[in-house]
Amino acid sequence: MRGWLLWLRWSWSDLRRRWLQVVAIALIVALGTGIYSGLVSTSPWRQESNDASYDLLNMYDLRLSLTQGSYLDGAALLDAFTHVEHADWITAVEPRLILPTLVDASTDAQAIITPGRLIGTDLAGTLPHVNDVYITAGRGLDSADVGEPVAVLEHKFAAYYGLPPEGDLLLSGDRMLHYVGTGLSPEYFIVFTDEGGMMAEANFAVVFVSLETAQALGERPGQINDVLLTLTADADREVLQAELEAAVQGVADVGLSFMLPQDDQAYTMLYEDIEGDELFWRWMAYLFLAGAVFGAFSLATRLVEAQRREIGIQMALGVPPIRIAIRPLLVALQIAVLGVVFGVITGLLIGDAFGVVLQEMMPLPVFLKPFQPRTFLEGAALGIILPLLATVIPVVRALRVEPVDAIKTGHLVAKGGGLAPALTRRSGASRVLTQMPLRNLLCAPRRTLLTVLGIAAAITLLVLILGMLDSFDATLDQARAELYQASPQRMVVQLNFFYPENSPVISSISQLPEIGTADPALQLGGYLMHEGKTVETLLDMVSMESPLWRPSLQRGTYPGEQPGVLISEIAARELGVQPGDTITLRHPQRTGLLSYGWIESEVEVSGIHPLPLRFQTYMDLQQADLMGLAGWANTLQVAPASGVTQDEVKQALFGQFGVASVQPISAIIRVFEDLIGEFVDMFAVMQAAAVFLAVLIAYNSTSISLDERQREMATLFAFGVQVRTALRVSIVENLLMSLVGTVLGCGLGILFLVFMMKGVFAEVTPDISITIAPHLVTFGLALLVGVLVAALTPTLNLRKLLRMDIPATLRVME
Amino acid sequence: MKTRERTTGNIIELEEVSKKYQLGEVCVTAVDNISLGIAPGEFVVVLGPSGSGKTTLLNLIGALDTASSGDICMDGKYITRMNRAERSRYRRETVSFVFQSFNLFPGLTALENVQFGVESAERKPNGGTAKEMLSRVGLEHRLHHFPHQLSGGEQQRVAIARALATGNPILLADEPTGELDFKTGIQILELLHEQSHSGRTVLIVTHNREIARVADRVVELSSGHIVRDGVPENHIAAIADLSW
Repeated sequence: MRGWLLWLRWSWSDLRRRWLQVVAIALIVALGTGIYSGLVSTSPWRQESNDASYDLLNMYDLRLSLTQGSYLDGAALLDAFTHVEHADWITAVEPRLILPTLVDASTDAQAIITPGRLIGTDLAGTLPHVNDVYITAGRGLDSADVGEPVAVLEHKFAAYYGLPPEGDLLLSGDRMLHYVGTGLSPEYFIVFTDEGGMMAEANFAVVFVSLETAQALGERPGQINDVLLTLTADADREVLQAELEAAVQGVADVGLSFMLPQDDQAYTMLYEDIEGDELFWRWMAYLFLAGAVFGAFSLATRLVEAQRREIGIQMALGVPPIRIAIRPLLVALQIAVLGVVFGVITGLLIGDAFGVVLQEMMPLPVFLKPFQPRTFLEGAALGIILPLLATVIPVVRALRVEPVDAIKTGHLVAKGGGLAPALTRRSGASRVLTQMPLRNLLCAPRRTLLTVLGIAAAITLLVLILGMLDSFDATLDQARAELYQASPQRMVVQLNFFYPENSPVISSISQLPEIGTADPALQLGGYLMHEGKTVETLLDMVSMESPLWRPSLQRGTYPGEQPGVLISEIAARELGVQPGDTITLRHPQRTGLLSYGWIESEVEVSGIHPLPLRFQTYMDLQQADLMGLAGWANTLQVAPASGVTQDEVKQALFGQFGVASVQPISAIIRVFEDLIGEFVDMFAVMQAAAVFLAVLIAYNSTSISLDERQREMATLFAFGVQVRTALRVSIVENLLMSLVGTVLGCGLGILFLVFMMKGVFAEVTPDISITIAPHLVTFGLALLVGVLVAALTPTLNLRKLLRMDIPATLRVME
Repeated sequence: MKTRERTTGNIIELEEVSKKYQLGEVCVTAVDNISLGIAPGEFVVVLGPSGSGKTTLLNLIGALDTASSGDICMDGKYITRMNRAERSRYRRETVSFVFQSFNLFPGLTALENVQFGVESAERKPNGGTAKEMLSRVGLEHRLHHFPHQLSGGEQQRVAIARALATGNPILLADEPTGELDFKTGIQILELLHEQSHSGRTVLIVTHNREIARVADRVVELSSGHIVRDGVPENHIAAIADLSW
């Protein structure tokens, strides 16, 4: 025991001698383990928060929806349900009436007119309601509100526009509602529109009212079109579905569909995202850990090298190698423990910051952030094992040296000239002090390499993090540029059905004085298929001759006489096609006045458009006869008349027959922004950590290097070289190393950036193709951190130089 | 008030110089109230056992260390009253060092190490260029070799050439033969001895009594005090007569 205490004290003394570098390394390990623990903790948080939120609001087990436009008497339907064979499997029933509507939530400051949905629920029914509403502000609805024009507004919509917890709404048909609160409901934890728009709170308002109020507003007294059910654990869903379908048919012959929670887009996305995001964040954490390990390795190597002679003496005295290894390993262990302690704090702080981002991005009624002992233990284990492993390599190397070589002193230990001979014949007439920095670096190539790699590791992380932010920005800019082009005021009007271009519905819209230009268009769902691969697509058919807007070309040509499509780069890559290739387009075709069927057509890939969304495909409206829709439209691209604002266009179109929604093109971009917003916000948290880590590693690498040059510094001083001159030599030396390290780090950063974006991110978010475009400012910052910090590190040692005990330093035995 | 300059016949003048170190709670007096004068061109050996204060004395004379009390006047200037920059300048212009473990710059060739000496003095050396200096120490064939490619004796000769290249009038050598074998040590000693013949003041610190036999003057220290100061005990021996 006493022997152990000696080794412990000895290693502690080693640690104290380099306390500043030790703290820096511990902080580096802390950032690595902390980011790992903090990032990975968010996955169980999300899982538990999702579970708790769905439990709290009593998420349905089975949803029954009548075909669009079908309604049934609520009482008769519920009565029929009570008579099905396995009625005892049903634990709760929630009849609803869901109506599409336009919502005008305009305030004095802004015009807010969006499509939306009116949801009537039975307030008198048994509590808790299925898919209840969690009130985030104001109050909820109660039995006193039955039949009253009182509502609760969906939280995300209200939050997006900063609406107060109470106010007035105007619905289609000039129906006024007073909302008394805002709330979250499971189906809208992530807002999806009927058209498939995701995170669409900017463009979609959900209004919760009593069932009676909805029936009154929809002029559907007593009728419902949607039923939510919760079931017992032993319920056989397929059996029950069949029984319920029969029961519905017994009431009336209407079409119906069933949904499980897994069919709910918000539900699926909330759970599936966790796995994908975790993969992404784990990679990020591993990269930070790699930086930390490298930092630890670098310091450990130098610590062991500094102990070379002592190790030799111990070997000469017959101390077993395993015992000799204890001292440097104990130093590594102490650094690791210190790092892990800091790491837990860092992890908690980072986790907390990420928690805030997640809550803002995806607010849930319950957001749980329980401490994740397993994740933190994993982080701690990595934080301890990795630095120890990093120390083992130099320790083993030191133990392989013959004792007789290890205990040599003075000139007998003279190091090799390294790569310095390469410069001897090129020294020219320049002063020795001018040549000295480069000579010093080449003279100890291993030491120089370690420092360069240390700086490179720091810069790699910095370029990676900032490069990702830049790439997200560039992708958004690319989307903006494409969607705006020369018509930033462009708006998209969705019609509630297909109308002939010369129909009164379209004419009345086009002829509104607020509308400058109105180009008919078609928007259809479909599939692109090629050699067994399929990509789901949103097919926008617009006039390729339109002066208002048409897709740009990245490659290829606009479709000609033959049917052709412009597809996204990412879809082309996935399908393995190039402009000029032929693919199969599966699309709807009108077969009767109101009937549609699916057919497959061979179309040419005419070109690639620059919008970075996989699902987006464009086709010339002139090809609409392929769909049996020549001369028809379900969308209009409009431009406000001169001097008319977008808000005024919205106002004019509100209540216009046939209009389902009106969106400025900027709103579509907002949705796009929201899609990658989570990553942008998370990275904003991480970039400070990356800069800090980079500064720490850069400082540490150069500081260690400087420590190792103390004796040469003392020799310079002995010959009367002034401190400023010696400092200049050091700065130039560090500048050269940091320049190489920074350039290497920038290169590696770009490589990792490509790997993270094209590999990991593409797997997590396959619908978006990120343009890899690190900004010049990022490289500027990398240069600032890598070169300036590293180069200026010697100035931080100025005090040490000024107070140097020159005779003692000159006498130091190597 | 004392002036910053004085004129005596000596190039090195120490007046009641002491150097004390605080080692934890213990105050160690390395040099205790020493007064000493050395004339230009003298070949002086400071002799003493380990811990006698000889290296501290050398460091004080070379302005690598500062005295706790007393005055040191070098070539007419009180270095004990100089600030850091002035001490640097003094080292550049007045003294040169030869260290026991050579302290050559490992990244520079022999020629460049000597060239450093030329440049650090910021003036043309009295004796010639770096190449000439290396010729004088017999290393004209090793100009482009790095320290690790040279033997210990060759490295020390480069260190001497570097010191000579400064052209400074005082050469301070701390155990210059300490790491060398006898034969090489003798060669180094000859080199140093030659310097005093060319007018340079040479001060060698050693514990080797044999080396003291060839000195013009021997200053023997013990526990920080001068216990003897004068010519070698019997007579000044020839270097060829030495053995250890």
